[in-house]
Amino acid sequence: MSDEMASTAITLPSASDPTRRASGLGRVGSFLRGSEENAWRWSARVASLIPLVGLAFVLTVLAIKAWPAIRVNGFGFLSRSTWNPGSTYAAPVKTSGVLHPVGSSYGAWPLIAGTLQTSVIALIVALPISLGTAFALTEHLPRWLSRPISFFVEILAGIPSVIIGLWGVLTLGPFLAKHVYPFISNNIPNVPFLRYFKGNVGYGEGLLTSGLVLGLMIVPIIASTARDLFMQVPPLPKEGAEALGMTEAEVARRVTIPWVRSGLIGATVLGLGRALGETIAVAMISGSILGAVSPNVYGTMTTIAATIVSQLDSAATDGTGFAIATLAEAGLVLAVISVVVNVIARGIVNRTSKHLAPVGKS
Amino acid sequence: MKNLLRSLTALALATSGLLVAVALPASASTKVVTCFKLEKNVVHTKKFHGVCAHGWSKKRPKPAPVADVAVENPGTASLTETGSTLLYPLWNIWAPAFQSEFPQVSLTTGGTGSGTGIADAASGTVNIGSSDAYLSSSQLTSTPNLLNIPVAISYQMIEYNIPGLTAHLKLNGKILSQIYQGQITNWNDSAIAAINPGVSLPNLKIVALHRSDGSGDTFIFSQYLADTDPTWSSKYSYGTTISWPTISNSLGENGNGGMVSGCAATSGCIAYVGISYLTSVLGDGQTYAQLENGVGQYELPTAATASTEAAGFTAKTPANGTISMIDGKVSGGYPIVNYEYAIVNKVQSSASLAKAVRSLLEWTIDPSYGGSSQYLGQVRFDPLPVKIVTQSYKQIKEIQ
Amino acid sequence: MAALIFVIGPSIWLIADVVIRALPHWQWSVLTTVPVGVGGGLENAILGTLVIMVGVLLIAGTVGILTGIHFAELQRLRRSGKAGGNFLRTATEVLAGFPSIVLGYVGYIALCVGLHWGFSLLPALIVLSIMVTPYIAKSTESALRQVPTNYREGAEALGMATGYALRKVVIKSALPGIVTGLLIALAIAVGETAPLLYTAGITNNLPSLSLIHQPIAYLTYYVWTDYNQPILATRYLSYDAALILIALVLVLLVSSRLLVNRTQRYSEGRR
Repeated sequence: MSDEMASTAITLPSASDPTRRASGLGRVGSFLRGSEENAWRWSARVASLIPLVGLAFVLTVLAIKAWPAIRVNGFGFLSRSTWNPGSTYAAPVKTSGVLHPVGSSYGAWPLIAGTLQTSVIALIVALPISLGTAFALTEHLPRWLSRPISFFVEILAGIPSVIIGLWGVLTLGPFLAKHVYPFISNNIPNVPFLRYFKGNVGYGEGLLTSGLVLGLMIVPIIASTARDLFMQVPPLPKEGAEALGMTEAEVARRVTIPWVRSGLIGATVLGLGRALGETIAVAMISGSILGAVSPNVYGTMTTIAATIVSQLDSAATDGTGFAIATLAEAGLVLAVISVVVNVIARGIVNRTSKHLAPVGKS
Repeated sequence: MKNLLRSLTALALATSGLLVAVALPASASTKVVTCFKLEKNVVHTKKFHGVCAHGWSKKRPKPAPVADVAVENPGTASLTETGSTLLYPLWNIWAPAFQSEFPQVSLTTGGTGSGTGIADAASGTVNIGSSDAYLSSSQLTSTPNLLNIPVAISYQMIEYNIPGLTAHLKLNGKILSQIYQGQITNWNDSAIAAINPGVSLPNLKIVALHRSDGSGDTFIFSQYLADTDPTWSSKYSYGTTISWPTISNSLGENGNGGMVSGCAATSGCIAYVGISYLTSVLGDGQTYAQLENGVGQYELPTAATASTEAAGFTAKTPANGTISMIDGKVSGGYPIVNYEYAIVNKVQSSASLAKAVRSLLEWTIDPSYGGSSQYLGQVRFDPLPVKIVTQSYKQIKEIQ
Repeated sequence: MAALIFVIGPSIWLIADVVIRALPHWQWSVLTTVPVGVGGGLENAILGTLVIMVGVLLIAGTVGILTGIHFAELQRLRRSGKAGGNFLRTATEVLAGFPSIVLGYVGYIALCVGLHWGFSLLPALIVLSIMVTPYIAKSTESALRQVPTNYREGAEALGMATGYALRKVVIKSALPGIVTGLLIALAIAVGETAPLLYTAGITNNLPSLSLIHQPIAYLTYYVWTDYNQPILATRYLSYDAALILIALVLVLLVSSRLLVNRTQRYSEGRR
């Protein structure tokens, strides 16, 4: 190696002082270059702290705003179902040192249930679609097919959620309610477990529609992570399986997926994190009913994020500030769930991906 | 790489050039001039190209003062207003008219909801908040400098979507309360049939719509229910946001607009909507009810019945404007009528800003300017009675 | 594969639906007038969205790219072989999935009310940048990791200092990936509604370029607020805003595609 370097290096600097001579400008140049390096290091270090500071700031402000509500609502907040702001026009009362309207009693259980329900439906819908898409992108598809497909995935990722909500509430919801839901509701056998799928199909706003739309929104996340994972599967085991006579589907099922199984779990949890926090699209499609969990899969409900967006203004009319504190408490619950889910997801994905330590391709 | 950067820069320049080219024509049109006309002591404003039409003049006329209201000169200022979605269309009509009178003032309007309007007016984030509901005692305690100033009179209709039925059904507070509690679930219920003899009611499930966002409309509707049904009063009371009874056939909608279009899409629905949306309601094939007032009469929501009801409360309205005009004992009056309020902080950040805010509010209540039917009629509001104009003017003078 | 139908189908249906709703009532004056009364145009919102886009590009772009560089290049590697600073990276990535309404409301309390900035451009930029920085950091980091180690080794062999090598060699070759990440992050920022509702406010005036005390308009507001207005002129405004938004997002995505295609012609190791 050094022989080659020596033979080609006519103008190479002397070995003793590589940094000083290499780029010209002498001493001033080296000072500038040294400080340039420091400038890069320090500005990058500061920049990388900003997201962390932002996250900590958000959580702190939320906790401070929510504290009065936490004291009064207690742990029952997570299990109660009523969302009663109380009589905001009567004289307020004090509980545990906190001023709040008389009769106010907040319970976030329907919100939490709605959030979890829509996210679960979203995952059930998104997983097969994402895996199928990821396979299509990594296997031997002709270029004229794989390019548009990945473009459409990017479109799904980039389309504003308010427009997806618009489409969901104006077009998809009524279409499903008129053509698809009655078909399902009428043809499902009247067995106790499946009775959840029968009943009043409503007009398109509700749990199932929200879940479907949410699933569509998280497909890009899961699909792109899955595609990256699939590309890391070495070809040898796959070719070996094919040589043994397995079909493509069996290769996928028995070789590829188990190989990246924990990474897939991580990707799924990542999509879950996104679904939990989605606000606007769900606010438009969910039907916004506080105070009760939906009796069947088509019924109207709400999620924590959608509730915050639709109730924030009316909470401001509560002169004691208690309603806002309660919404902040709901937001804190959502933030904590979101952080926990994302940390778990990153942990799983990072543990299974190999490319971390050395930078760059070899 | 250089080529890439070059083409990117070229693209960016081309796009911005295109935008400028698009924006320029709008600003470089022929000179537009604002002209005024005084008719029946009401000032009309109109923009013309170049020259005023016959009967209009560039000089600002001086109408005879009504109720001693004098509109001050605002000076140069930048004002912001936000709040109730019911007042939002009216502010959007008032803003260009006010700005053509006083071009050095820039007025920004918003429709974020009454709650945010009140909170922002209290904190000084906006100058004027608008609300359909007066301030509660706890709001007054936490922000004692807030004024609620009546600026117009509005009323609310109960609309429903029953395919094939165009009659104005008679409804009263007790029946509505039972509908929203889930005790009456079908349109052909005996209670509804009893007060509507001769109307054939279909066998159709009632879907009760309510506002999911905080709203002055919920405030006045729930007040009507509370005033007419003691059970509702004790269980659910009234407010801009209440805990609606959970019944199987109900929907939450966002905004007045959501109520109207949600009802149009749901047959059998019933909803409470501000009167400004009358044309849209009728256009969608829906219709509205006659409501029972405080003396047992069934009245349709019209400008006449609303102003009759308001007149019955004029003497009782206190100086601070806080009064509920729901279900009054006024013969010939429509039971759901309310003042529309401008919520303002008595203490503004500077004297010149206070002057601008006062000027705007004086303009809105002056019957020769904002308080005239050329503006209010577009949203079907009623003008304030003269005595209330005087009271509001006194409140406006407190803004310093 | 049937899955593809479920990806391509809804995307096309979605875009077609917006186009079908908006086109019959489209007027070119929507681009040049501001909202007046119940109808009017969207000039204030279009310019406002573009101003916000440029602002987010500057703030989030700087912070995100620097963060990505930090994670990829400048962190000291731990002995165990795993990339160091897992905590910082996790925090950054956790921020990526954070509920946007919560961020918006915290921005409202802390910046608009707390610091008395009112509804204005700067709180909106700060909140949006916090939302979008993780995406930029992640794509910058992966773009930098794609740069072959040979380049770095060559630069070091020639005696370049790390910072200089970064500027002249590494970032230059990772530039397509970085720009792609920027464009996609901008598409996400342009499409956000909830955070802007509580930080930017709304106005009928054109953007005034003052950072605080002046609200600014943005397209997603009109889609969110006006879609179910019974007055048809207002509803059409909402559809028009949706159409313009889709066009904007498509422009951003197509540009990023073209970029990737163009530069892959010159790079090695192309698939």
